[in-house]
Amino acid sequence: MQRFHAEVGVSQLSKHGEELCGDNVEVVRTANSTIIVLSDGLGSGVKANILAMLTTKIASSMLKRGIPLEEVVNTIAQTLPVCRQRKIAYSTFHIIKINETGLTNVIEFDCPTSFLLRGHHVLPFPSQEKIIAGKTVREGELMLQENDKIVMISDGVIHAGIGGLLKLGWGWQGVEQELKTANQMNTDAEQLSQQIINCCQGFYLDRPGDDSTAVVVKIRPKRALTLFVGPPANSANDERITKRFLSRAGKKVVAGGTTAHIVSRITGKPVTTKLNYEDPQIPPIGHIDGIDLVTEGVLTVNAAVERMLRPKILKQSTRQDGATLLAKMLMDADIITLLVGTAINPAHQNPSFPNQLNIKSQVLTKMQEVLLNLEKQVEIEWL
Amino acid sequence: MQKLVLEICVGTSCHLLGSQDLIQMVERFPAEVKNKIELQGATCLGACGKGPNVRINGTILNNMTPEQLQQIICDTI
Repeated sequence: MQRFHAEVGVSQLSKHGEELCGDNVEVVRTANSTIIVLSDGLGSGVKANILAMLTTKIASSMLKRGIPLEEVVNTIAQTLPVCRQRKIAYSTFHIIKINETGLTNVIEFDCPTSFLLRGHHVLPFPSQEKIIAGKTVREGELMLQENDKIVMISDGVIHAGIGGLLKLGWGWQGVEQELKTANQMNTDAEQLSQQIINCCQGFYLDRPGDDSTAVVVKIRPKRALTLFVGPPANSANDERITKRFLSRAGKKVVAGGTTAHIVSRITGKPVTTKLNYEDPQIPPIGHIDGIDLVTEGVLTVNAAVERMLRPKILKQSTRQDGATLLAKMLMDADIITLLVGTAINPAHQNPSFPNQLNIKSQVLTKMQEVLLNLEKQVEIEWL
Repeated sequence: MQKLVLEICVGTSCHLLGSQDLIQMVERFPAEVKNKIELQGATCLGACGKGPNVRINGTILNNMTPEQLQQIICDTI
């Protein structure tokens, strides 16, 4: 059975004059599912932000532990602080739980109906009303297919332009029309959520009257990547490990000169090296037929980690150096395996060389941490 | 006429020890000299402690400086 990945794109606008957004989104990934919670807190600014954050944190933490929905809704209702003026504790919530098989549950409380995008069709996500803990909740379940998208929005999007550019605001149908135009098969989740928020900003004439959030979830096959970096401590294992590396599904990256030579020797395919320095700090990349990327070792890996710490800059970068290419490939993958050889190159013990050369294990551990923070599934194997 | 095959190692150690300077030196040669050289990159020439390393027509030379390499190229072609 195919395993799917839920790619999540979130874009937000804060109400004009507010620094904090009163909508909050929490994405939690478990071993076989993705849970996304959007909440719109009562009012705007700090108070709304705290209410929304409490709601998303409570809901996502409880659902992550498999606690039934009824109990989650009850807990949210009982734990939210009460507004001094309105005497109510309130925030909307919108929950999507996607299993890796594509089975999707949507739960909505007092928020605009989610959109289901399939091919060129845009439909309301099918749901039924249900009373849970005294609250009327809409609940739906559907088996999603590859490239399906679910879009959830806060009411700030529906009300965009109200009383100004648009008498009654953009409305659910307005957003539906925009989605029909903007959604293509290859549009990614981030692009589509940003497109909705860009329209919103336009209708609000750059002065949003409410916090606005668009969350797009795209279902696509999981992307795997294996990075083979550094020669194994025992050279007798070279062949076995290389064959295992070559047999892995998804993209394959080799980092390190000696490692590239091992792969070249075992595959019988030559390693060629370019001489153009796209970045003077990063040694040029190489090429082996059948391998997606061949780079230098620890300097490139370390620079790739640094680049991944600034994902927005990385996404816009057109640089072709090994570190940028490696960082982009890692960012694009969902399941990453790091095969790390622990052989020590005595020449790297030169005291005039940068520190990270002697602490390859630390660089790779940091890479694992950064990737985990980016919600990737990462496995590291020391060889 | 057979070209001089010059491989410059750009592995970690050689990169840190100045292989980029060697490449820049070769690229500064006038076109008539450059046409006689087939410049290639190498990932590792197996002598990381003695970099930067180059291989000229199959022979590995260690601890290369731009001046030494320039002299060797001029003497060879």
